[in-house]
Amino acid sequence: MTTEAATIGLTHGGSEDTGLGHRGPESKSIVVPYGFWLFVLSDMILFSALFATYASLVTATDGGPTTNQLFDRTLVAIETMALLLSSFTCGLAMIAAKRKNMFWTQGWLIVTGLLGAVFLFIELYEFAMMIEEGAGPQRSAFLSSFFTLVGCHGAHVTAGLLWIGTMMAQIWAKGFKDHIIRRLLCLSVFWHALDIIWVAIFTIVYLIGTLP
Amino acid sequence: MTEDEDNLLDVAPGIPHSNIVSETVAYVIGLALALILTGVSFWVASTSTLWGPGVAVGLVVLAIAQMGVHLVFFLHITSGPDNTNNVLALAFGVLIVFLVMVGTIWIMAHMDANMAPDPAIMNLQMQH
Amino acid sequence: MSVIFGKLTWDAIPFHDPIPLITSAVVILAVAAIGILVWRKGWWPYLRDEYITSTDHKHIGIMYIVLALLMLVRGFADALMMRLHQSMAIGAAQGYLPPEHYNQIFSAHGTIMIFFVAMPFVIGFMNFVVPLQLGVRDVAFPTMNNVSFWLTASGALLINISLFLGEFARTGWLAFPPLSEKEFSPGVGVDYYLVALQISGVGTILTAVNFVTTILKTRAPGMSYLRMPVFCWTSLASNLIILAAFPVLTVALGLLMLDRYMGFHFFTNDGGGNSMLYMNLIWIWGHPEVYILVLPAFGIYSEVAATFSGKPLFGYRSMVFATMIICVVSLMVWLHHFFTMGAGANINAIFGIASMVIGIPTGVKIYNWLFTMYGGRVRFTVPVHYLLGFMLLFVGGGLTGVLLAIPPVDFITHNTLFLVAHFHHVIIPGVVFAIMAGYTYWFPKAFGFMLHEGLGKAVFWCWFIGFNLAFMPLYLLGFWGGTRRLQHISDPTWAPWLHVALLGSVIIGAAIVLTVVQLLYSIKTRDQRMDVTGDPWDGRTLEWLTLSPPPHYNFAVLPDVHGEEAYWTRKQTAIKEERLIDEPDYQPIEMPINTPTGVICAFFATVCGFAVIWYIWWLAIVGLIGAFAVFVWYAWQDEHEHIIPVEEVRANARERRRIRMEHLHKLSQST
Repeated sequence: MTTEAATIGLTHGGSEDTGLGHRGPESKSIVVPYGFWLFVLSDMILFSALFATYASLVTATDGGPTTNQLFDRTLVAIETMALLLSSFTCGLAMIAAKRKNMFWTQGWLIVTGLLGAVFLFIELYEFAMMIEEGAGPQRSAFLSSFFTLVGCHGAHVTAGLLWIGTMMAQIWAKGFKDHIIRRLLCLSVFWHALDIIWVAIFTIVYLIGTLP
Repeated sequence: MTEDEDNLLDVAPGIPHSNIVSETVAYVIGLALALILTGVSFWVASTSTLWGPGVAVGLVVLAIAQMGVHLVFFLHITSGPDNTNNVLALAFGVLIVFLVMVGTIWIMAHMDANMAPDPAIMNLQMQH
Repeated sequence: MSVIFGKLTWDAIPFHDPIPLITSAVVILAVAAIGILVWRKGWWPYLRDEYITSTDHKHIGIMYIVLALLMLVRGFADALMMRLHQSMAIGAAQGYLPPEHYNQIFSAHGTIMIFFVAMPFVIGFMNFVVPLQLGVRDVAFPTMNNVSFWLTASGALLINISLFLGEFARTGWLAFPPLSEKEFSPGVGVDYYLVALQISGVGTILTAVNFVTTILKTRAPGMSYLRMPVFCWTSLASNLIILAAFPVLTVALGLLMLDRYMGFHFFTNDGGGNSMLYMNLIWIWGHPEVYILVLPAFGIYSEVAATFSGKPLFGYRSMVFATMIICVVSLMVWLHHFFTMGAGANINAIFGIASMVIGIPTGVKIYNWLFTMYGGRVRFTVPVHYLLGFMLLFVGGGLTGVLLAIPPVDFITHNTLFLVAHFHHVIIPGVVFAIMAGYTYWFPKAFGFMLHEGLGKAVFWCWFIGFNLAFMPLYLLGFWGGTRRLQHISDPTWAPWLHVALLGSVIIGAAIVLTVVQLLYSIKTRDQRMDVTGDPWDGRTLEWLTLSPPPHYNFAVLPDVHGEEAYWTRKQTAIKEERLIDEPDYQPIEMPINTPTGVICAFFATVCGFAVIWYIWWLAIVGLIGAFAVFVWYAWQDEHEHIIPVEEVRANARERRRIRMEHLHKLSQST
């Protein structure tokens, strides 16, 4: 009997099918992504609190700049394209990783990271422009909530880039071991979730926010 | 598991496939749908094709559709081993997101409505 | 302000305040003395290997509970100081605590009791018990479990450092703006509060991820959802609430930090800020928080009721259903904490009704416990004392809650002593009694010997009498207009009631002292109360299958579960057939290795947190980089498990079987 079977404890032939749990504990390849998915959901709840804050404070401009005066839809469109494409290339990286192909995995991961960096660069540029024209986060409650919501997402993207870099190093040094693949899976879940949050941001903050 | 030649391109995301082409095509379809939905969002927001107050609603619907595309085509939420727990967890998350956002907006709107008027206006009112 | 030391100067040490100065000196000396004693006796390697770096859920659970007990002493000291001061500050008398000091004490009392006593206790019990009851070897993510504990400890450490370096927040346990904004609280107190809670909050969210995954994805073979013990169901519900609510706490505290540190305008009076938004966000977390505490408490009561009545829990399915309803509805009632803030009658009505509705599933639970005991052969052990005390008292506390849920009533009683009485009335019989019951109930499983029963009953009576004396007068005082958090009492007719409350606090103090005495005495005389079989209470759930304490891997072979009350049915079969199940085929067992990741990560988190509080920016960056580096170093390791050889597994298992056979023979001889 294998160690895993003994760990699971299947000492007699099959229990009756009592639904989940009749097999015993699930394997790591199921447990780890599920746990990470739960963490991602808690992160989404964090963003929902930031969205709720933004919605409450969007009109609290204290006589200062408003959404219509500040947001540039062209820049947002480019950011959106970059992040969406990076989600796609991340998926391609996962397909390559499943086949343990070093070249394509690293290749698509680099592209994903570069597209993420493009997104960040544009966002930082936008922030710098706004601060320069006196529309920084200390100007009003609306601007505080804008910078925090969008900035928090940007911080998550930054963390994602660091993670991509770390994973590329680990894959190169250790190959496609089981736990490395699991981590890649978690990274891709994280990266896709970031794009989901961005959909909410560009819709609510930039599009609905600048309707005539 | 047998796969006919015809089914190589069968890319319904709910079916786990071990074929590189069908997996890739799934992502391509997801990307295409997302691009279309994003494009429509930007377009809806900039033209007056939709009735004014309906634009915001339309944008929200499009956003939810885009999130759905991501969940199904990129995150494979409907496939994968024991995906029921994943979907249940997502449902729980969506419920909380809804409670937090709608609850806060509803409460804060009422609070703002019940606030005393601006002191400047109050002064004017009191001068009569 | 300097670059090297930030805001930190010699003035941070409270040379002019005798109470914190002397307390700090005593604590530092005591910690140093214990450290030297441990070193001299050569206990450090044992502590390091068995506890500090342990990934064993049982030992992590014990560490949580030790932390909670230590912080209970400080939280209670704050309470006693408040009671003493209020008794001495009536009419012309001024008490001994100036307002700026008194305000720190009530803020520290609430913060410590909720975040660093009740939460660690509850999480500690869940850690110790849930994997055992599920029939598995550990939680889903053992290393992350270790990290969670040490992050919580880091938060507790920072709160304690505030006693001798700087000050604590004066803003109550929830730090409402605008008072908690930079303009009105320029000192470090609020920053200590915010940073400590953010750090420990991360640990708590990770715990929730861990336990939801464990309960939903890793259970013994045959244990379907409806065969799980009720304590596991309540742990699931509690952790789901943590997952839902703690991110909102992170946001609320984070936004306040942004206001204070970077001049943002979320909750300020100027710039368009809205302090009511903070109230809304913090209570979206704050209400579910109390259910995070009380649901596992209810689970403990369910276990105690069934075991000591000698009957299965009455209405298992309705209990599960009620638990999950409470889980969801608890996230829908938060506005009842600010009925008076002006949302208007309609919103108040809806949240008021929801708050009353949540009493219904709670009532279902009470009836289930009652019917569990009815017709059973109830043994009046110490845990049952707490169960009965809870059932008697908690209903009253819940009823005052229903009263408060009526907005017009709340307009009169909001923020009065009536409210203070209410929440202590539900938390002490609800959560604290359950903690004491669980502590007594599972102590033998953790350490292999029972606590002294007589002293345990004395502790209970001190809690029961002390609690009633300390808090019932507060209901009256609240009705008579007594506001909470008063540093001076102007109405001299309140004096007798306040003195009664002080007496009650002193009796609760006796309970805490007796708990320590009980522990030390029980350790000293443990040979008289050894738990030989591992099943001292004739238990019904799987943790009683093992010897006490269980081996690191819990079970030699994961038990096959065939019905509800997995262990009870197996035990009855064994008694009837007068034999154990056939000896299984033992295999080597893979268990996670120890890890220093948690304690080192928490060390850097503490360094970073301390630096942020005192504006020492270079140190904050060092702390952050250090924490990240530890994480990357850990992630780079390849081997995370070690194998326990089959000979060891077999030897332990055969010892257990031998003891159980002996016990079986004794049982059949006596019948």
